[in-house]
Amino acid sequence: MSETLSAAGPIRVKRRIPTRTPGQASGAATARGRLGSPAGSLVWAAPALAFVGVLLVYPFFRSVYGSLFEDNGFTSEFIGLDNYVRLAEDPILGRSLINTVMWVAGTLLLPVVAGLLIAVATHRMRLGNLAQLVIVLPYAISGASTAVLWKFMLTSDGAVNQVLGAVGLGSLAQPWLLEWPQNTVSLIVAGTWQATGINVVLFTIGLRAIPRDIVEAAHLDGVSGWSMFRHITLPQLRAMTVVVVGMAIVNSLKAFDLIWVLTQGGPSRSSETLALTMYREAFRLFHVGYGSAVALVLSVIVVAASWLYLRRQMPGARD
Amino acid sequence: MGRALRNMFVAGCVLLWLIPLYLLIVNALTPAGGYTGTPDWAPRGFAILDNLSIAWSEAGIGQSFLVSLLYSVVCGSVAVLVAAMAAFAVVVLPVPRPAFWFWLIYSGTLFPLQMFLAPLFGLYADANLYDTRLGLMLVYAAWAVPFAFFLIRNQMTTMPPEVTEAAMLDGASFRRIFWRIHVPLMSSGLGAAFIFQFTAVWNDLLLGITLSRSPEVQPVMAALTTLNSAYGSSGPPVILAGALIVSVPTLLVFLLFRGLFLRGVTAIAR
Repeated sequence: MSETLSAAGPIRVKRRIPTRTPGQASGAATARGRLGSPAGSLVWAAPALAFVGVLLVYPFFRSVYGSLFEDNGFTSEFIGLDNYVRLAEDPILGRSLINTVMWVAGTLLLPVVAGLLIAVATHRMRLGNLAQLVIVLPYAISGASTAVLWKFMLTSDGAVNQVLGAVGLGSLAQPWLLEWPQNTVSLIVAGTWQATGINVVLFTIGLRAIPRDIVEAAHLDGVSGWSMFRHITLPQLRAMTVVVVGMAIVNSLKAFDLIWVLTQGGPSRSSETLALTMYREAFRLFHVGYGSAVALVLSVIVVAASWLYLRRQMPGARD
Repeated sequence: MGRALRNMFVAGCVLLWLIPLYLLIVNALTPAGGYTGTPDWAPRGFAILDNLSIAWSEAGIGQSFLVSLLYSVVCGSVAVLVAAMAAFAVVVLPVPRPAFWFWLIYSGTLFPLQMFLAPLFGLYADANLYDTRLGLMLVYAAWAVPFAFFLIRNQMTTMPPEVTEAAMLDGASFRRIFWRIHVPLMSSGLGAAFIFQFTAVWNDLLLGITLSRSPEVQPVMAALTTLNSAYGSSGPPVILAGALIVSVPTLLVFLLFRGLFLRGVTAIAR
């Protein structure tokens, strides 16, 4: 495991993707003669470029451009930055942003921390693999199925309120999906149930890569329990933590299907995130240009967040 | 002391994770008409086959299930092949500016899906691809390419270049080098990428509800969502049975190819 991890060293530094393999570097002078024309080798990348170019990159720029128009699906009129002005003044945007931030914070807090704790607790435990399998299973289930199941549990006469009533905490029972902020919190908990498994897997891979002698040396020095976790395990897991946290940020910003199936962003748009606001504006209300503006704001946040995060974390992850 | 605490923590987590799964199965067993309005905690009858068949045929999950299987298998395979060729070009062949092409293809995963939706809808309406299977297959394949490319490229860079050079000295053509050397040597990496993209296409909801409408085109997650919004008419047991059906392929793939999946995850994580 440690071999593969160190062999892949350059890839962790996302900013500097190695532009040539050792093969290309050594044969650079003669490669032209032996390998045929450089442009000819682009033919191999052509299908991928066609797919990505026509169906992803072109629509991306078209969307940026479209956000400058008032477009209801039939007529469109150039209005410059008015969509963005409207967006800034939209009262929905505030709630939508708060919910989006709650999703990011919640996803960092719950599935990442739970994943770390469960991975550490089940590592080298008897039946630990079985426990991990149970927690990973929901990850294989789709967001839509998770949503269907949790809707069943969270409705007013659902399973959660039943349990609360049965253990004498009936006063805590409430309409989980009908009031803000507990509807967003409930959604995040449902997301945690589904997403923790992959983090357990990732952290376990990281734990297995910790060199045994470090742990043994620490043991000989009398380090154990909490200080072992704090001073040995956690620093050794750093590279993996960067990946898990990076994925959590991006996925929480993009979260769609769970929210759409559970609440459709409601009631009265109270559980909407930016990802849902865009869908509702563009495809339910036919404010296509406005929807594109929301999508662009969301994209900027996603890309900026992951870029800032990776920029800060990647160089240190090399050791 | 520490050990007991740890065991209790793990047992508690396992219990918390099992309860929803247990409820899913027990309530999918309840006869469709006999649902009382509150969840059952013990099996009441064994009507799961009836519920499955109602969800499968009357609620239209079955048709979408087969269509989604088509989408996932075809688009997953196409994406892996196309991505492997692109990775081959960027890693092995003397493409000018490989980093540029890498980022161009990889950029497809950076942005949220929402960013592509409105223009795709317009594009599809103009090209008569809206609400057609071909249209969905094209967009699923395109959507699956960047990440498959990322995984395969990562693994291809770990292959010793001497292998390629030796084959070139023997006079093998690119096509031969690709099919006879890279594809066989990378088969587990390609398999892992396929599993990832199969699962991604299978689980997609957003593209499905945006670019299709009719039952014979809609992917299975869209069908499940439709069933869910018609909560009153079909009843929770049927909907839960539907959720069970749509989870079967990914669960099977996951349990059967756990090793391959883990290797794939390791490939992203490093």
